[in-house]
Amino acid sequence: MSPWNMDNLALLHPAALDDYVLSVELIRRQIVDAPACEEIFRYGACVGSVIYAYPSLSRAMDTARDHIATREKKGVSVANGSLILASSLSLPKGRFSRSWHAPPGGLWGCLILADTFLPPFRNLLPLIPGIACCEALHQDGASDAAIRWVNDVLVQGKKQAGFLIEGFRSPVHGENYHLLGFGLNLNNDTFPPELQETAIALSQVLGCSIDICSFAFSFLAKLRWYVGLLLYEEEQWLARGGRDVYEEEHPIVRRWKELSDTIGRRVQFGYDVLKNPQYEAVVSAIAHDGALVFRHDDGTTSVEHSGEIRYRQ
Amino acid sequence: MRLLLTRLDPAVPTDFIRIQEHTMSDEIDFDEILGKYHSDPYEYVDIFAEHTGKIRFLVEGGSSVEAVSGEWKHIPGTPLFEITRERNPKKITATTNGVVSFIAGELEGRFVEAGEKLMTIRHPLKKKEIIEAILKEVLYIFPAPERAKYFFSLDVQSRIEKKGAREVSVKPGDEIIIMSLMKRDTPVYYSGEKGVIHSVYFKPGISVDRGAPLIGVCPFEKLPLIQKVITRVKADWDKKE
Repeated sequence: MSPWNMDNLALLHPAALDDYVLSVELIRRQIVDAPACEEIFRYGACVGSVIYAYPSLSRAMDTARDHIATREKKGVSVANGSLILASSLSLPKGRFSRSWHAPPGGLWGCLILADTFLPPFRNLLPLIPGIACCEALHQDGASDAAIRWVNDVLVQGKKQAGFLIEGFRSPVHGENYHLLGFGLNLNNDTFPPELQETAIALSQVLGCSIDICSFAFSFLAKLRWYVGLLLYEEEQWLARGGRDVYEEEHPIVRRWKELSDTIGRRVQFGYDVLKNPQYEAVVSAIAHDGALVFRHDDGTTSVEHSGEIRYRQ
Repeated sequence: MRLLLTRLDPAVPTDFIRIQEHTMSDEIDFDEILGKYHSDPYEYVDIFAEHTGKIRFLVEGGSSVEAVSGEWKHIPGTPLFEITRERNPKKITATTNGVVSFIAGELEGRFVEAGEKLMTIRHPLKKKEIIEAILKEVLYIFPAPERAKYFFSLDVQSRIEKKGAREVSVKPGDEIIIMSLMKRDTPVYYSGEKGVIHSVYFKPGISVDRGAPLIGVCPFEKLPLIQKVITRVKADWDKKE
């Protein structure tokens, strides 16, 4: 095993993440963001409040499910925001069971979030990991990193990071959780043939080795911020008399738009776009709820809340 | 108990769908049901104000309206009215075809509250729609929790592929469907009467509105009754035509 992997993951403990947030991320946010920075970080403090680091796992999502079930059976509560990290995954997969390569050198894991979000805000959760990753990449020098709807992060047109969120209902208490799986290519710069044209590692972009631990702190601190922002804005909206529909542009959607290169692109769309592309159209906008607005060749428009895209130009 | 979806209840202004609970009856008065559809083979779709705002009608009583169309349902239906709130005009279009049978003309140019009834569209029913409507009265209808795309869970899908949906039984608590919304896949757990999946109302990859039916479940012992409904409606309607 490469020396940086396990050693660095072992350094990723909650107290060190707290220190990073207070000494780096909070100050950064205070300079550029709203005055409620401390409150927002308090809302997001659950993220990484417990961290389990493993040298190797089959799938981090499966470990998260087992973790929840085992704790419940023992009568012990599951800490919201628990993180499962692994230096490598032996049986990783993306959506639709697509191939995903997770050897040592990347950042692989799963964040467990209890489903405490109101419906209009829950739908924005998938935007968060892409934003957090993209910001961390920009900070590290990969300035052309951009988000492809919903949350794929591309650098030089190739996928550097992928995320998926799966719901899980706990077997004993029937509590609902979101399992946010993440895979970030950092130093793992050798890909199997089927991924060589479409995947890229950060080390290839920057031409040097990446300190996985430092990058993970940056990424997790940003996850904390945006999960906190989601909850903070939820509270503000309720205080403003919010009811069923959130009709404003959420700051998370606004930030997503700044970091994405999807709007204005001609794309191929499909629920499983690789297997079954449905149509080609131009993305004309992102709706307030994060949905894609398409302009078709005949001038009509349609809105899609689910599915995936591939750029055509 | 079962859920029956009906459209557009003015008593629920914040929601366009009413979910009622009904008890499944063992007996069906075919003559009464069919008589009802024979004498009035229409569905009356009431249209309400989605939110507060000033109304400007774009159709008149008696106007024919077209439903949303296109391969991906991307061509809007006939514009029905414009509702303006805080200088933000929103055109509301028809989702069903038919004729405007009622219009609240006195509201033209006035400010309305959310949930105010604005018009009714009389939609002519086809034989298939009548069968579906009657089936929805006798099946347990499991509705979509959110506007999203749905697909069967792997286990249910493989059982359907092997045996067909009507041989697949479900019971409360079963993970039957996956809801996919913004790359977030959430299992949907069945909560209704135990039975077989008789009708599937969604297609993989096509968005389903919140509250729209996903599947219709029939208790095992009611299957012959359901078959009788279909046979009887088909025969009766064919005879009429």
